[in-house]
Amino acid sequence: MPPAGAMPTGEPPLPVGDDVEMIEGRSPWYLAYIRLRRNKVALAFGALFIVIVLFCLAAPLWSHLVAHTGPNQNHLTEKIDIGGKETFVVAPNGIPIGPGLHAKFLLGADDNGRDVMVRLMYGGRTSIYIGVMAAFITTFFAVAIGLIAGYYRGWTDSVLSRVLDVIWAFPVLLLGIALGTALSVGGLKIGPLEIAGNSLWIPIIIIGFVYVPYMARPIRGEVLALREKEFVEAAIAQGKGPIRVMFSELLPNLISTIIVFFTLNIANNMLLEAALSFLGAGVRPPNSSWGTMIEEGSDRIVTAPHLTLVPVLMIVLTVLALNVFGDGLRDALNPKAKIRMEH
Amino acid sequence: MRNLRKIAALAMATALAAVGLAACGDSGGGGGGKEGGEVAGTVTSFPDYLDPQLSYTLEGWEGINNVYIPLLTYQHGNGEESTKVVPGLAESMPDISPDGLTYTFTLRKGMKYSDGTPIKASDFPYAIQRLFKLDSGGAPFYEAIAGATDYADGKADSISGIQADDQTGKIVVQLEHSSGTFLNEVALMFAAPVPQSTPLDKDQTSTPPPASGTFMISNSDPPNSYTLEKNPQFKTVQDAGASDLPEAHVDKVTVTQNKNQSAQAQAIEQNQSDFMVDPPPADLLPDIQNTYSDRFRFQESINTYYFWLNNTKPPFDNVQVRQAVNYAIDPAALNRIFGGRLHPSQAILPPGMPGYEESNLYPGPDLEKAKALIAQAHPSDMDITVWTDDEPDRKRIGAYYQDVLNSLGFQTTLKIIGGDVYFTTIGNLSTPDLDTGFADWFQDYPHPNDFFGILLAGESIHPTNNQNFSQTDIPDLNKQISDLDTKQLTDPGVEDGYAALDKSFMEQAVWAPYGNEKFTTFTSDRVAFDDVLFSLVFNLDYSSFQLTD
Amino acid sequence: MEGMGRFIIRRLVGMAAVLFVISILVFLIFNVIPNSDPAQRIGGKNANPELIARINEDWGFNDPLPQQYVSTMKKVFTGDLVSYQNQRNVSDQIEKGIPVTFSLCIGAGIIWLLLGIVFGYLSAVKAGQATDRSLTILALIGISLPVFWLGLVLQYYIGNKLGLFPIGDYVKFTEDPLQWVNHLILPWFTLAVLFIGFYSRVLRSNMLDVMDEDYVRTARAKGLSERQVRLKHVLRNSLIPVITLFGLDFGAVIGGGAILTETVYNLPGVGQYAGQSVASLDLPPLIGITMFGAFFIVFFNTIVDIVYAYLDPRIRLGAQAA
Repeated sequence: MPPAGAMPTGEPPLPVGDDVEMIEGRSPWYLAYIRLRRNKVALAFGALFIVIVLFCLAAPLWSHLVAHTGPNQNHLTEKIDIGGKETFVVAPNGIPIGPGLHAKFLLGADDNGRDVMVRLMYGGRTSIYIGVMAAFITTFFAVAIGLIAGYYRGWTDSVLSRVLDVIWAFPVLLLGIALGTALSVGGLKIGPLEIAGNSLWIPIIIIGFVYVPYMARPIRGEVLALREKEFVEAAIAQGKGPIRVMFSELLPNLISTIIVFFTLNIANNMLLEAALSFLGAGVRPPNSSWGTMIEEGSDRIVTAPHLTLVPVLMIVLTVLALNVFGDGLRDALNPKAKIRMEH
Repeated sequence: MRNLRKIAALAMATALAAVGLAACGDSGGGGGGKEGGEVAGTVTSFPDYLDPQLSYTLEGWEGINNVYIPLLTYQHGNGEESTKVVPGLAESMPDISPDGLTYTFTLRKGMKYSDGTPIKASDFPYAIQRLFKLDSGGAPFYEAIAGATDYADGKADSISGIQADDQTGKIVVQLEHSSGTFLNEVALMFAAPVPQSTPLDKDQTSTPPPASGTFMISNSDPPNSYTLEKNPQFKTVQDAGASDLPEAHVDKVTVTQNKNQSAQAQAIEQNQSDFMVDPPPADLLPDIQNTYSDRFRFQESINTYYFWLNNTKPPFDNVQVRQAVNYAIDPAALNRIFGGRLHPSQAILPPGMPGYEESNLYPGPDLEKAKALIAQAHPSDMDITVWTDDEPDRKRIGAYYQDVLNSLGFQTTLKIIGGDVYFTTIGNLSTPDLDTGFADWFQDYPHPNDFFGILLAGESIHPTNNQNFSQTDIPDLNKQISDLDTKQLTDPGVEDGYAALDKSFMEQAVWAPYGNEKFTTFTSDRVAFDDVLFSLVFNLDYSSFQLTD
Repeated sequence: MEGMGRFIIRRLVGMAAVLFVISILVFLIFNVIPNSDPAQRIGGKNANPELIARINEDWGFNDPLPQQYVSTMKKVFTGDLVSYQNQRNVSDQIEKGIPVTFSLCIGAGIIWLLLGIVFGYLSAVKAGQATDRSLTILALIGISLPVFWLGLVLQYYIGNKLGLFPIGDYVKFTEDPLQWVNHLILPWFTLAVLFIGFYSRVLRSNMLDVMDEDYVRTARAKGLSERQVRLKHVLRNSLIPVITLFGLDFGAVIGGGAILTETVYNLPGVGQYAGQSVASLDLPPLIGITMFGAFFIVFFNTIVDIVYAYLDPRIRLGAQAA
């Protein structure tokens, strides 16, 4: 390298120092990141979701340090101090106390005298866990099916598309209820695979399964489009096997789509879980979720509205947060994206 | 029997859309209202059956007790009056032989069913035969009839112990042992005669048999609705001298199923519906008590709520462990779940039942004492399954009970089963892990043997359709049950005998009972509220409905 | 239109194939997978040994699996499915429930389609502004509100407290058209809220994409007013996916998706029948209703495909199925 300051004849000086970075090419990821950063609203809602998750994860802390009770402990005949007065947690006529500024029962109590705040946090863990796990299942199968169908086309594609049609055609709620109730009694037993009737995995599998077509179709569409592109044809011509092509050429270009769908899918899963749990076909005791809390509170819409309002609010906030952030992600990753999830 | 409420609220409010006064004899009062018109009511769960030989729930009996009249019946009235057995289709109370084994009835003359078929004496044994052919839950009540078990087992073509003469109307029933409850059992729906054209072994809920009561079922559309209309042939029964059977005031009663109990109560508030079979939900109760107190009231009911404890295997095969449970549960806490309508009690018999005495065997709740007892007993198996059904209040009861058991150191699994199949599930002895769970029992008739004989006698343990969920089989107490059963309630010392029996069972802690639920009555303002009758056996008396002027 | 004819036939064959596979799955799900005795489950709460033996014979549970499948499906298609709980024929019950479910779904469908389009249009046109933001948030709230909870709340506050509409129950159109409407208004809105949210977002998203398309720019360049551009080109083209979505959703809602609304408002439709059967684990109706539901979904799916193909020649001429 010529000594700094030396002037090679006839050519302009090479840029040095900070300036070099300014003309480096920026990866699409970095650009996406910048776009996302500019979208304050999306970021705010994304943060909201993180806050909600942290809130729920903090359940044991709150339960031990502040409320001094577990989520399933009944306090039917106990009293607490509200504004200097000793009040029954559950009045003799069965009406529980509502939210207020007291460390115990911050959000009030339910019919069994359980602490709603604590249940909300623990229930949120279940709901979010189900939402995320089911999203993993959906994504895995949707990507697999979409890749295979889109890559091989022809016969394989026809068959797989029909399979998607079949899943799509199932009356979702009915299927969920029927499976949920039928499996809850004896559990699931397919060959070596055995799952207990009240395991969380039963609703997770059902919910994950149900949404596969919603994600698989758009992914298949994208793969079909990508398939035609030169770099893919080049890779195939180079003799790369299907798996390598899928992983090294196709999949990387799908990541943005996958990320967006994954995010939106979590929201849908949580909604479906609430519906199934309300019908008694989702989360089963002793587990509780926001869905089961709504079902339990539905008997007290008049005298203890907080029992339903609180979990409904949490679901609305979480779904809202995921959707707005997901939209923001979509806009950031692909500003001209034509991808849209059918639901 | 049990109550099939689906989305039951805590309170068992029985909406009484009672109208007018129920005729018959003594009740006097009322009479304010007009004749005719229609009332419409709702029920949360359609009756299990509308077939008199099969129906075994409050919903069913409430619907059909004015449609099918047995040889004897329960007097129409309020409270205790309603537990008196009086003649129905029979001319009078039967002649009973001195040894208590032979009952002779005489059928009234000239009566017809709603379709014009004459009512015959042989229709009575036909009805009893149906009980066995249908494998009815009520069949065990009549096994004491000579030849009944032979018939049930297929060894005979008819029941040898019943002789019926269609010419004279005489019906003679031979029992295998004397019974203090047989009269009560003859007055149950199960023994209501039906025409012999009724299929012997098929449930007739969709096509109910012709009626002998003041109402007939003019339409049956399970599980959506059924309709009662005035039976045009009821005159023949009245003319034959049945003065204890009141005539209905309204022309038509429709009962429609609505799973949304809150909507049912709101419909009555808005006068869009006239009565509800079940209680308004606890959520609306304060509102209703305040705003509609002129058409709402509480009612007594004879029932006990309890937790059964499997006496045959660890850990509850140990009496100390069972006693621990009785010390640990808190009826006052459970009362909250019942919206304050529970009368806390840790006895087997409920108040209102002869032989009831307040119990103080397990003052508490005393968790320390309970834990001490368990430590002493040192049970080998602390892993238990707790059962309950899926009605909202039952789930809450289950959640409370599970919490209590957990605090005693048990490892519990809560199993929630659909209300429709809960009792058959826990009543099927081949179901695994039957450790403890929810149960209730509403009297079939006001006699303590309805509790002891059916729920706690060793011989009442059946492999399916079992009601003795604790599988209690204590030879000493079994003997006391059968002894007392042969006597009449009015005999000296019998009531005390039952009280002592209650105490003995509770000393053995075969159950963990916690109380008796009160009902309520709630009607629209179209209905003459003060005249609505509420029977302790059949609940709402539809024949007492009357529209206000 | 020869291409169209062949396309239709292909889709109909596909429809039959899908229904066939669904029937196998229904059979597996209801009879095989759950870890309990199918005859016992079908027999219901009063199953005695004779009944169980009869069921085993009727349904062929003692036969090899393929034969079992055939007997189950024969029952479904010959309308021979009978519930052992209450001796009612399943097909009859479903038939009785159809007018109610259709009344609910068609009314709700019209409402959600219209309002969804209106809100979506407004949202897209005012993209990024306050109107858009608030409509989006409203839509998202609508999507996340549990239907049953909403139903209960509306029923109590609007039906009871304000007394504006009846609390529930169904009045036949033939008996009293005005009351038929009156009793259905709350259920219509309850069911529609969720979809209004979806549809407005879908339409908004479509319109925004379309507005960037070349042909739209061309239309503007040609001098059409912005409004004309929006209505004639953007909206029309954005509607196509929305309409196809509507077809699918409508099929799904008829096929039992209205369980919750029907239960809350006590409407005796197919959804409520499904709910009752689920509560009592009554299998024959569940099998019948699932097949019924699947049929409608696949049927509408196919109609939608055919209509889409008709509107978009590329698809029907294309090598791949849509």
